[in-house]
Amino acid sequence: MHIMEGFLPLEWCLVWWIIALPFLAWGVVRLNRILAADREALPLLGITGAFIFILSSLKLPSVTGSCSHPTGTGLSAICFGPAITSVVCLVVLLFQSLFLAHGGLSVLGANIVSMGIVGPLAGYLVYRALRDTRVNLYFTVFFACAVADLFTYMTTSLELALAYPAEVGGVATSFGVFFVIFAITQVPLAIIEGIVLALVFKYIIQLKPEIISRLRIFPDEAVRAARGEA
Amino acid sequence: MDHGFLENVAQENGLAGVSPYVKLAVGLGAILLVLLSPTWVTPLFIAVSLGMAVLLLARIDPHLYVHLLAAPLLFAVLSVAAVVLVTGGGQVFWAWQPVFGFALSLTAGSISQGLLVFSRVLGGMSALFFIALTTPMTELFIVMRRCRVPPGLVNLTMFVYRSIFILSDQVDQVLSAQRMRLGYSSAREAVASFGNLCGASFIASWECGEDLIRAMDARCYEGRFAMLEESAPVHARHLATAGLFLLATSALLLATATGSVPWGPA
Repeated sequence: MHIMEGFLPLEWCLVWWIIALPFLAWGVVRLNRILAADREALPLLGITGAFIFILSSLKLPSVTGSCSHPTGTGLSAICFGPAITSVVCLVVLLFQSLFLAHGGLSVLGANIVSMGIVGPLAGYLVYRALRDTRVNLYFTVFFACAVADLFTYMTTSLELALAYPAEVGGVATSFGVFFVIFAITQVPLAIIEGIVLALVFKYIIQLKPEIISRLRIFPDEAVRAARGEA
Repeated sequence: MDHGFLENVAQENGLAGVSPYVKLAVGLGAILLVLLSPTWVTPLFIAVSLGMAVLLLARIDPHLYVHLLAAPLLFAVLSVAAVVLVTGGGQVFWAWQPVFGFALSLTAGSISQGLLVFSRVLGGMSALFFIALTTPMTELFIVMRRCRVPPGLVNLTMFVYRSIFILSDQVDQVLSAQRMRLGYSSAREAVASFGNLCGASFIASWECGEDLIRAMDARCYEGRFAMLEESAPVHARHLATAGLFLLATSALLLATATGSVPWGPA
Protein backbone atom coordinates (compact mmCIF):
# COMPACT_ATOMS: atom_id res chain seq x y z
CA MET A 1 0.00 0.00 0.00
CA HIS A 2 1.62 3.25 -1.07
CA ILE A 3 0.61 6.85 -0.50
CA MET A 4 -1.52 7.81 -3.49
CA GLU A 5 -1.24 10.71 -5.88
CA GLY A 6 -2.53 13.98 -4.47
CA PHE A 7 -2.66 12.80 -0.85
CA LEU A 8 0.36 14.74 0.45
CA PRO A 9 0.53 18.55 0.35
CA LEU A 10 3.09 20.01 -2.08
CA GLU A 11 5.58 21.05 0.64
CA TRP A 12 5.73 17.50 2.02
CA CYS A 13 6.12 16.03 -1.48
CA LEU A 14 9.17 18.30 -1.88
CA VAL A 15 10.58 17.46 1.57
CA TRP A 16 10.48 13.70 0.86
CA TRP A 17 11.96 14.18 -2.59
CA ILE A 18 14.81 16.22 -1.06
CA ILE A 19 15.44 13.44 1.51
CA ALA A 20 15.27 10.72 -1.16
CA LEU A 21 17.54 12.38 -3.72
CA PRO A 22 20.94 12.00 -1.93
CA PHE A 23 20.20 8.29 -1.34
CA LEU A 24 19.23 7.85 -4.98
CA ALA A 25 22.38 9.67 -6.10
CA TRP A 26 24.44 7.35 -3.87
CA GLY A 27 22.54 4.40 -5.34
CA VAL A 28 23.20 5.54 -8.93
CA VAL A 29 26.92 5.96 -8.14
CA ARG A 30 26.99 2.43 -6.66
CA LEU A 31 25.01 1.14 -9.64
CA ASN A 32 27.46 2.66 -12.13
CA ARG A 33 30.41 1.27 -10.14
CA ILE A 34 28.91 -2.22 -10.09
CA LEU A 35 28.07 -2.06 -13.79
CA ALA A 36 31.63 -0.94 -14.62
CA ALA A 37 33.11 -3.81 -12.60
CA ASP A 38 30.69 -6.57 -13.62
CA ARG A 39 28.74 -6.19 -16.84
CA GLU A 40 26.65 -9.24 -15.96
CA ALA A 41 25.11 -7.33 -13.05
CA LEU A 42 22.67 -5.24 -15.13
CA PRO A 43 20.36 -8.04 -16.31
CA LEU A 44 20.38 -9.51 -12.81
CA LEU A 45 19.43 -6.17 -11.27
CA GLY A 46 16.78 -5.69 -13.95
CA ILE A 47 15.34 -9.08 -13.16
CA THR A 48 15.39 -8.26 -9.43
CA GLY A 49 13.42 -5.09 -10.14
CA ALA A 50 10.89 -7.10 -12.13
CA PHE A 51 10.76 -9.65 -9.31
CA ILE A 52 9.95 -6.94 -6.73
CA PHE A 53 7.33 -5.51 -9.11
CA ILE A 54 5.66 -8.88 -9.65
CA LEU A 55 5.87 -9.74 -5.95
CA SER A 56 4.23 -6.49 -4.95
CA SER A 57 1.52 -6.86 -7.57
CA LEU A 58 0.62 -10.31 -6.23
CA LYS A 59 -1.88 -10.45 -3.42
CA LEU A 60 -0.77 -12.41 -0.39
CA PRO A 61 -3.05 -15.24 0.77
CA SER A 62 -5.99 -13.36 2.25
CA VAL A 63 -5.51 -14.44 5.86
CA THR A 64 -6.32 -10.97 7.15
CA GLY A 65 -8.85 -10.32 4.43
CA SER A 66 -6.82 -7.34 3.28
CA CYS A 67 -5.74 -6.64 -0.27
CA SER A 68 -2.17 -5.89 0.81
CA HIS A 69 0.89 -7.25 -0.86
CA PRO A 70 4.47 -8.12 0.08
CA THR A 71 7.06 -5.42 -0.62
CA GLY A 72 9.90 -7.82 -1.41
CA THR A 73 12.43 -5.10 -0.67
CA GLY A 74 13.91 -7.01 2.27
CA LEU A 75 15.04 -9.73 -0.12
CA SER A 76 16.63 -7.17 -2.45
CA ALA A 77 18.37 -5.43 0.48
CA ILE A 78 19.86 -8.76 1.62
CA CYS A 79 20.98 -9.68 -1.92
CA PHE A 80 22.22 -6.32 -3.22
CA GLY A 81 22.43 -3.91 -0.24
CA PRO A 82 20.32 -0.85 0.57
CA ALA A 83 21.90 1.61 -1.91
CA ILE A 84 21.13 -0.46 -5.00
CA THR A 85 17.73 -1.36 -3.55
CA SER A 86 16.79 2.34 -3.39
CA VAL A 87 17.45 2.74 -7.14
CA VAL A 88 15.67 -0.51 -7.98
CA CYS A 89 12.74 0.70 -5.87
CA LEU A 90 12.66 4.01 -7.74
CA VAL A 91 12.21 2.08 -10.99
CA VAL A 92 9.69 -0.35 -9.47
CA LEU A 93 7.62 2.45 -7.91
CA LEU A 94 7.63 4.33 -11.22
CA PHE A 95 6.32 1.22 -12.98
CA GLN A 96 3.78 0.59 -10.25
CA SER A 97 2.35 4.08 -10.62
CA LEU A 98 2.24 3.89 -14.43
CA PHE A 99 1.29 0.21 -14.87
CA LEU A 100 -1.03 -0.33 -11.93
CA ALA A 101 -1.83 3.19 -10.65
CA HIS A 102 -0.38 2.21 -7.24
CA GLY A 103 1.20 5.28 -5.68
CA GLY A 104 1.87 8.37 -7.77
CA LEU A 105 4.45 10.71 -9.24
CA SER A 106 4.36 13.67 -6.82
CA VAL A 107 4.42 11.23 -3.87
CA LEU A 108 7.15 9.10 -5.44
CA GLY A 109 9.76 10.73 -3.15
CA ALA A 110 7.74 9.83 -0.03
CA ASN A 111 7.16 6.27 -1.25
CA ILE A 112 10.86 5.87 -2.09
CA VAL A 113 11.82 7.01 1.42
CA SER A 114 9.47 4.46 3.04
CA MET A 115 9.69 1.49 0.70
CA GLY A 116 13.08 2.06 -0.92
CA ILE A 117 15.23 3.57 1.84
CA VAL A 118 14.03 3.18 5.45
CA GLY A 119 12.48 -0.30 5.11
CA PRO A 120 15.40 -1.91 3.22
CA LEU A 121 17.96 -0.13 5.45
CA ALA A 122 16.28 -1.48 8.61
CA GLY A 123 16.06 -4.97 7.08
CA TYR A 124 19.70 -4.80 5.97
CA LEU A 125 20.89 -3.78 9.46
CA VAL A 126 19.03 -6.74 10.98
CA TYR A 127 20.57 -9.04 8.37
CA ARG A 128 24.10 -7.69 9.03
CA ALA A 129 23.62 -8.00 12.79
CA LEU A 130 22.50 -11.63 12.54
CA ARG A 131 24.48 -12.83 9.51
CA ASP A 132 27.64 -13.96 11.30
CA THR A 133 25.97 -15.17 14.47
CA ARG A 134 24.68 -18.64 15.27
CA VAL A 135 21.13 -17.60 14.43
CA ASN A 136 19.59 -19.91 11.84
CA LEU A 137 19.86 -18.57 8.28
CA TYR A 138 16.10 -18.78 7.70
CA PHE A 139 15.37 -16.88 10.93
CA THR A 140 17.78 -14.17 9.77
CA VAL A 141 15.89 -13.83 6.48
CA PHE A 142 12.56 -13.91 8.32
CA PHE A 143 13.55 -11.15 10.74
CA ALA A 144 15.21 -8.98 8.08
CA CYS A 145 12.22 -9.16 5.72
CA ALA A 146 9.59 -8.71 8.45
CA VAL A 147 11.46 -5.72 9.90
CA ALA A 148 11.86 -4.19 6.40
CA ASP A 149 8.11 -4.52 5.88
CA LEU A 150 7.20 -3.09 9.29
CA PHE A 151 9.57 -0.15 8.96
CA THR A 152 8.15 0.62 5.52
CA TYR A 153 4.67 1.01 7.00
CA MET A 154 5.90 2.85 10.10
CA THR A 155 7.59 5.37 7.81
CA THR A 156 4.44 5.69 5.71
CA SER A 157 2.45 6.37 8.90
CA LEU A 158 5.02 8.99 9.95
CA GLU A 159 4.84 10.65 6.51
CA LEU A 160 1.04 10.87 6.79
CA ALA A 161 1.20 12.04 10.41
CA LEU A 162 3.68 14.83 9.62
CA ALA A 163 1.44 16.06 6.80
CA TYR A 164 -1.75 15.82 8.87
CA PRO A 165 -0.92 16.30 12.59
CA ALA A 166 -3.80 15.78 15.02
CA GLU A 167 -5.38 18.80 16.67
CA VAL A 168 -4.94 17.14 20.08
CA GLY A 169 -1.56 15.45 20.56
CA GLY A 170 -0.05 16.62 17.23
CA VAL A 171 2.12 14.35 15.11
CA ALA A 172 2.38 11.62 17.78
CA THR A 173 -1.39 11.08 17.99
CA SER A 174 -1.78 11.22 14.26
CA PHE A 175 1.07 8.71 13.85
CA GLY A 176 -0.70 6.43 16.35
CA VAL A 177 -3.99 6.59 14.44
CA PHE A 178 -2.40 5.93 11.02
CA PHE A 179 -0.16 3.19 12.40
CA VAL A 180 -3.07 1.43 14.12
CA ILE A 181 -5.00 1.50 10.83
CA PHE A 182 -1.99 0.00 9.03
CA ALA A 183 -1.05 -2.35 11.89
CA ILE A 184 -4.36 -4.23 11.68
CA THR A 185 -3.27 -5.59 8.31
CA GLN A 186 0.47 -4.92 8.32
CA VAL A 187 1.66 -6.71 11.47
CA PRO A 188 0.22 -10.08 10.35
CA LEU A 189 1.34 -9.24 6.83
CA ALA A 190 4.94 -8.49 7.90
CA ILE A 191 5.04 -11.88 9.67
CA ILE A 192 3.62 -13.65 6.61
CA GLU A 193 6.05 -11.80 4.34
CA GLY A 194 8.93 -12.91 6.58
CA ILE A 195 7.73 -16.53 6.40
CA VAL A 196 7.19 -16.39 2.63
CA LEU A 197 10.61 -14.88 1.93
CA ALA A 198 12.28 -17.39 4.27
CA LEU A 199 10.55 -20.10 2.21
CA VAL A 200 11.86 -18.42 -0.95
CA PHE A 201 15.37 -18.67 0.52
CA LYS A 202 14.81 -22.31 1.40
CA TYR A 203 13.75 -22.95 -2.18
CA ILE A 204 16.83 -21.12 -3.57
CA ILE A 205 19.20 -22.94 -1.19
CA GLN A 206 17.77 -26.32 -2.20
CA LEU A 207 17.74 -25.72 -5.94
CA LYS A 208 20.34 -23.09 -6.75
CA PRO A 209 22.69 -22.46 -3.79
CA GLU A 210 25.31 -20.96 -6.12
CA ILE A 211 23.21 -17.75 -6.23
CA ILE A 212 23.75 -17.30 -2.46
CA SER A 213 27.49 -17.98 -2.82
CA ARG A 214 27.94 -15.68 -5.81
CA LEU A 215 26.27 -12.74 -4.10
CA ARG A 216 28.07 -13.63 -0.83
CA ILE A 217 24.78 -13.37 1.06
CA PHE A 218 25.69 -16.03 3.64
CA PRO A 219 28.97 -17.87 4.35
CA ASP A 220 29.31 -21.16 2.46
CA GLU A 221 29.31 -23.13 5.74
CA ALA A 222 25.94 -21.65 6.69
CA VAL A 223 24.52 -22.57 3.26
CA ARG A 224 25.90 -26.12 3.55
CA ALA A 225 24.45 -26.42 7.04
CA ALA A 226 21.07 -25.21 5.78
CA ARG A 227 21.21 -27.87 3.04
CA GLY A 228 21.90 -30.48 5.69
CA GLU A 229 25.40 -31.19 4.30
CA ALA A 230 27.45 -30.10 7.27
CA MET B 1 -1.28 -12.14 -22.78
CA ASP B 2 -3.30 -9.65 -20.74
CA HIS B 3 -1.66 -8.94 -17.37
CA GLY B 4 -4.11 -6.24 -16.32
CA PHE B 5 -1.39 -3.61 -16.81
CA LEU B 6 -2.42 -0.14 -17.98
CA GLU B 7 0.50 -0.36 -20.40
CA ASN B 8 -1.47 -2.76 -22.64
CA VAL B 9 -4.26 -0.16 -22.93
CA ALA B 10 -1.79 2.70 -23.46
CA GLN B 11 -0.23 0.98 -26.48
CA GLU B 12 -3.54 1.20 -28.38
CA ASN B 13 -5.02 4.47 -27.12
CA GLY B 14 -6.51 7.20 -29.35
CA LEU B 15 -3.84 9.76 -28.37
CA ALA B 16 -0.94 7.59 -29.59
CA GLY B 17 -0.23 10.18 -32.32
CA VAL B 18 0.31 12.98 -29.79
CA SER B 19 3.89 13.69 -28.70
CA PRO B 20 4.78 12.19 -25.27
CA TYR B 21 6.19 15.61 -24.29
CA VAL B 22 2.75 17.22 -24.72
CA LYS B 23 1.00 14.43 -22.81
CA LEU B 24 3.57 14.57 -19.99
CA ALA B 25 3.30 18.37 -19.82
CA VAL B 26 -0.50 18.07 -19.43
CA GLY B 27 -0.30 15.26 -16.85
CA LEU B 28 2.55 16.67 -14.74
CA GLY B 29 1.21 20.24 -15.07
CA ALA B 30 -2.19 19.04 -13.85
CA ILE B 31 -0.60 17.24 -10.87
CA LEU B 32 1.25 20.44 -9.90
CA LEU B 33 -1.92 22.54 -10.20
CA VAL B 34 -3.85 19.98 -8.11
CA LEU B 35 -1.23 20.29 -5.35
CA LEU B 36 -1.15 24.10 -5.54
CA SER B 37 -4.92 24.42 -5.33
CA PRO B 38 -6.26 25.70 -1.97
CA THR B 39 -9.84 24.64 -2.80
CA TRP B 40 -11.59 21.54 -4.16
CA VAL B 41 -12.73 23.37 -7.33
CA THR B 42 -9.56 23.15 -9.44
CA PRO B 43 -8.82 19.45 -8.64
CA LEU B 44 -12.45 18.59 -9.52
CA PHE B 45 -12.19 20.56 -12.79
CA ILE B 46 -8.98 18.67 -13.62
CA ALA B 47 -10.58 15.30 -12.74
CA VAL B 48 -13.58 16.01 -15.01
CA SER B 49 -11.62 17.45 -17.95
CA LEU B 50 -8.85 14.81 -17.96
CA GLY B 51 -11.48 12.10 -17.42
CA MET B 52 -13.30 13.37 -20.53
CA ALA B 53 -10.00 13.49 -22.46
CA VAL B 54 -9.23 9.88 -21.53
CA LEU B 55 -12.74 8.67 -22.44
CA LEU B 56 -13.44 10.76 -25.56
CA LEU B 57 -10.01 11.49 -27.07
CA ALA B 58 -7.99 8.45 -25.95
CA ARG B 59 -11.14 6.29 -26.37
CA ILE B 60 -10.55 4.22 -23.21
CA ASP B 61 -13.39 1.86 -22.23
CA PRO B 62 -15.56 3.73 -19.65
CA HIS B 63 -16.10 0.53 -17.61
CA LEU B 64 -12.34 0.05 -17.33
CA TYR B 65 -11.86 3.69 -16.31
CA VAL B 66 -14.52 3.54 -13.57
CA HIS B 67 -13.11 0.21 -12.37
CA LEU B 68 -9.58 1.69 -12.25
CA LEU B 69 -10.67 4.79 -10.34
CA ALA B 70 -12.82 2.84 -7.85
CA ALA B 71 -9.94 1.06 -6.05
CA PRO B 72 -7.79 4.10 -5.15
CA LEU B 73 -10.87 6.15 -4.34
CA LEU B 74 -12.09 3.55 -1.86
CA PHE B 75 -8.70 3.69 -0.14
CA ALA B 76 -8.85 7.50 -0.33
CA VAL B 77 -12.22 7.52 1.48
CA LEU B 78 -10.73 5.50 4.37
CA SER B 79 -7.57 7.63 4.58
CA VAL B 80 -9.51 10.90 4.31
CA ALA B 81 -11.82 9.67 7.10
CA ALA B 82 -8.72 9.30 9.33
CA VAL B 83 -7.54 12.81 8.38
CA VAL B 84 -11.02 14.26 9.11
CA LEU B 85 -11.19 12.58 12.53
CA VAL B 86 -7.72 13.59 13.79
CA THR B 87 -7.44 17.14 12.46
CA GLY B 88 -9.58 20.00 13.71
CA GLY B 89 -10.35 23.73 13.48
CA GLY B 90 -13.54 25.82 13.31
CA GLN B 91 -16.97 24.87 14.62
CA VAL B 92 -17.05 21.51 16.44
CA PHE B 93 -19.92 19.16 15.42
CA TRP B 94 -18.82 16.06 17.37
CA ALA B 95 -15.88 15.21 19.62
CA TRP B 96 -14.72 12.19 21.59
CA GLN B 97 -11.77 12.16 23.97
CA PRO B 98 -11.37 8.68 25.50
CA VAL B 99 -7.97 9.43 27.10
CA PHE B 100 -5.98 12.58 27.77
CA GLY B 101 -3.91 13.61 24.75
CA PHE B 102 -6.03 11.71 22.21
CA ALA B 103 -9.22 12.99 20.65
CA LEU B 104 -11.32 12.37 17.59
CA SER B 105 -13.56 15.11 16.28
CA LEU B 106 -15.67 16.30 13.40
CA THR B 107 -15.24 20.03 12.85
CA ALA B 108 -15.93 22.48 10.05
CA GLY B 109 -12.17 22.82 9.44
CA SER B 110 -11.50 19.07 9.36
CA ILE B 111 -14.42 18.39 6.99
CA SER B 112 -13.26 21.09 4.60
CA GLN B 113 -9.68 19.73 4.78
CA GLY B 114 -11.00 16.21 4.13
CA LEU B 115 -12.94 17.48 1.12
CA LEU B 116 -9.80 19.21 -0.20
CA VAL B 117 -7.63 16.08 0.27
CA PHE B 118 -10.26 13.86 -1.40
CA SER B 119 -10.58 16.25 -4.37
CA ARG B 120 -6.77 16.36 -4.67
CA VAL B 121 -6.60 12.55 -4.75
CA LEU B 122 -9.37 12.50 -7.37
CA GLY B 123 -7.63 15.16 -9.50
CA GLY B 124 -4.16 13.69 -8.96
CA MET B 125 -5.27 10.15 -9.80
CA SER B 126 -7.04 11.42 -12.94
CA ALA B 127 -3.83 13.12 -14.06
CA LEU B 128 -1.84 9.97 -13.28
CA PHE B 129 -4.34 7.84 -15.24
CA PHE B 130 -4.10 10.34 -18.12
CA ILE B 131 -0.33 9.71 -18.32
CA ALA B 132 -0.59 5.96 -17.66
CA LEU B 133 -3.38 5.32 -20.17
CA THR B 134 -2.08 7.51 -23.01
CA THR B 135 1.73 7.27 -22.79
CA PRO B 136 3.34 3.83 -23.24
CA MET B 137 6.60 3.20 -21.34
CA THR B 138 8.48 2.84 -24.61
CA GLU B 139 7.80 6.56 -25.28
CA LEU B 140 8.90 7.45 -21.74
CA PHE B 141 12.27 5.73 -22.31
CA ILE B 142 12.90 8.08 -25.22
CA VAL B 143 11.96 11.08 -23.07
CA MET B 144 14.21 9.82 -20.23
CA ARG B 145 17.17 9.43 -22.56
CA ARG B 146 16.66 12.88 -24.13
CA CYS B 147 16.31 14.45 -20.66
CA ARG B 148 19.80 13.09 -19.83
CA VAL B 149 18.72 10.70 -17.07
CA PRO B 150 21.91 8.71 -16.14
CA PRO B 151 22.36 5.95 -18.80
CA GLY B 152 22.78 3.23 -16.14
CA LEU B 153 19.36 4.11 -14.72
CA VAL B 154 17.70 4.19 -18.18
CA ASN B 155 19.21 0.79 -19.02
CA LEU B 156 18.07 -0.62 -15.68
CA THR B 157 14.55 0.74 -16.28
CA MET B 158 14.44 -0.89 -19.73
CA PHE B 159 15.62 -4.23 -18.34
CA VAL B 160 13.02 -4.13 -15.58
CA TYR B 161 10.34 -3.30 -18.18
CA ARG B 162 11.34 -6.20 -20.40
CA SER B 163 11.60 -8.65 -17.51
CA ILE B 164 8.20 -7.77 -16.03
CA PHE B 165 6.36 -9.32 -18.98
CA ILE B 166 8.52 -12.48 -19.06
CA LEU B 167 8.19 -13.01 -15.33
CA SER B 168 4.51 -12.29 -15.20
CA ASP B 169 3.82 -15.02 -17.79
CA GLN B 170 5.79 -17.50 -15.68
CA VAL B 171 4.03 -16.47 -12.49
CA ASP B 172 0.62 -16.85 -14.20
CA GLN B 173 1.50 -20.38 -15.32
CA VAL B 174 2.79 -21.51 -11.91
CA LEU B 175 -0.18 -19.88 -10.15
CA SER B 176 -2.73 -21.66 -12.40
CA ALA B 177 -0.95 -24.98 -11.86
CA GLN B 178 -0.95 -24.46 -8.08
CA ARG B 179 -4.64 -23.47 -8.04
CA MET B 180 -5.61 -26.51 -10.11
CA ARG B 181 -3.87 -28.72 -7.55
CA LEU B 182 -5.70 -27.00 -4.64
CA GLY B 183 -2.51 -25.25 -3.52
CA TYR B 184 -4.49 -22.44 -1.89
CA SER B 185 -7.16 -24.54 -0.16
CA SER B 186 -6.10 -23.65 3.40
CA ALA B 187 -4.15 -20.78 4.98
CA ARG B 188 -1.16 -23.01 5.76
CA GLU B 189 -1.18 -24.50 2.28
CA ALA B 190 -1.51 -21.00 0.77
CA VAL B 191 1.57 -19.63 2.56
CA ALA B 192 3.65 -22.68 1.49
CA SER B 193 2.41 -22.45 -2.13
CA PHE B 194 3.01 -18.71 -2.24
CA GLY B 195 6.56 -19.22 -0.93
CA ASN B 196 7.18 -21.84 -3.63
CA LEU B 197 5.71 -19.54 -6.27
CA CYS B 198 8.02 -16.68 -5.24
CA GLY B 199 11.05 -19.00 -4.97
CA ALA B 200 10.38 -20.54 -8.37
CA SER B 201 9.96 -17.10 -9.94
CA PHE B 202 13.17 -15.83 -8.33
CA ILE B 203 15.15 -18.75 -9.78
CA ALA B 204 13.38 -18.41 -13.13
CA SER B 205 14.25 -14.67 -13.10
CA TRP B 206 17.86 -15.43 -12.37
CA GLU B 207 18.03 -17.89 -15.26
CA CYS B 208 16.31 -15.36 -17.52
CA GLY B 209 19.01 -12.84 -16.59
CA GLU B 210 21.77 -15.32 -17.40
CA ASP B 211 20.13 -16.20 -20.75
CA LEU B 212 19.83 -12.51 -21.50
CA ILE B 213 23.55 -11.94 -20.87
CA ARG B 214 24.40 -14.77 -23.29
CA ALA B 215 21.96 -13.43 -25.91
CA MET B 216 23.38 -9.91 -25.55
CA ASP B 217 26.97 -11.16 -25.76
CA ALA B 218 26.04 -12.86 -29.02
CA ARG B 219 24.78 -9.50 -30.31
CA CYS B 220 27.88 -7.49 -29.28
CA TYR B 221 26.31 -5.60 -26.33
CA GLU B 222 28.48 -2.65 -25.35
CA GLY B 223 26.64 -1.12 -22.41
CA ARG B 224 23.91 0.74 -24.27
CA PHE B 225 20.53 -0.77 -24.99
CA ALA B 226 19.67 0.23 -28.57
CA MET B 227 16.20 1.57 -29.30
CA LEU B 228 14.41 3.31 -32.09
CA GLU B 229 14.44 6.89 -30.80
CA GLU B 230 11.39 8.05 -32.69
CA SER B 231 8.28 9.48 -31.14
CA ALA B 232 5.30 11.42 -32.48
CA PRO B 233 6.33 15.02 -33.35
CA VAL B 234 4.92 18.01 -31.44
CA HIS B 235 2.03 19.44 -33.51
CA ALA B 236 1.04 23.10 -33.05
CA ARG B 237 -2.62 22.06 -32.62
CA HIS B 238 -1.79 19.66 -29.77
CA LEU B 239 0.51 22.21 -28.14
CA ALA B 240 -2.18 24.92 -28.33
CA THR B 241 -4.83 22.61 -26.82
CA ALA B 242 -2.51 21.57 -23.98
CA GLY B 243 -1.47 25.20 -23.36
CA LEU B 244 -5.11 26.33 -23.34
CA PHE B 245 -6.07 23.62 -20.84
CA LEU B 246 -3.20 24.49 -18.48
CA LEU B 247 -3.86 28.24 -18.80
CA ALA B 248 -7.59 27.86 -18.16
CA THR B 249 -6.90 25.64 -15.13
CA SER B 250 -4.31 28.11 -13.77
CA ALA B 251 -6.82 30.97 -14.21
CA LEU B 252 -9.45 28.97 -12.30
CA LEU B 253 -6.88 28.22 -9.58
CA LEU B 254 -6.01 31.94 -9.25
CA ALA B 255 -9.67 32.94 -9.20
CA THR B 256 -10.52 30.43 -6.45
CA ALA B 257 -7.34 31.19 -4.46
CA THR B 258 -7.99 34.93 -4.40
CA GLY B 259 -11.65 34.50 -3.57
CA SER B 260 -12.91 36.19 -6.77
CA VAL B 261 -15.41 33.36 -7.30
CA PRO B 262 -18.03 32.14 -4.81
CA TRP B 263 -16.22 28.84 -4.11
CA GLY B 264 -12.98 30.51 -3.00
CA PRO B 265 -11.48 29.94 0.44
CA ALA B 266 -13.27 31.64 3.31
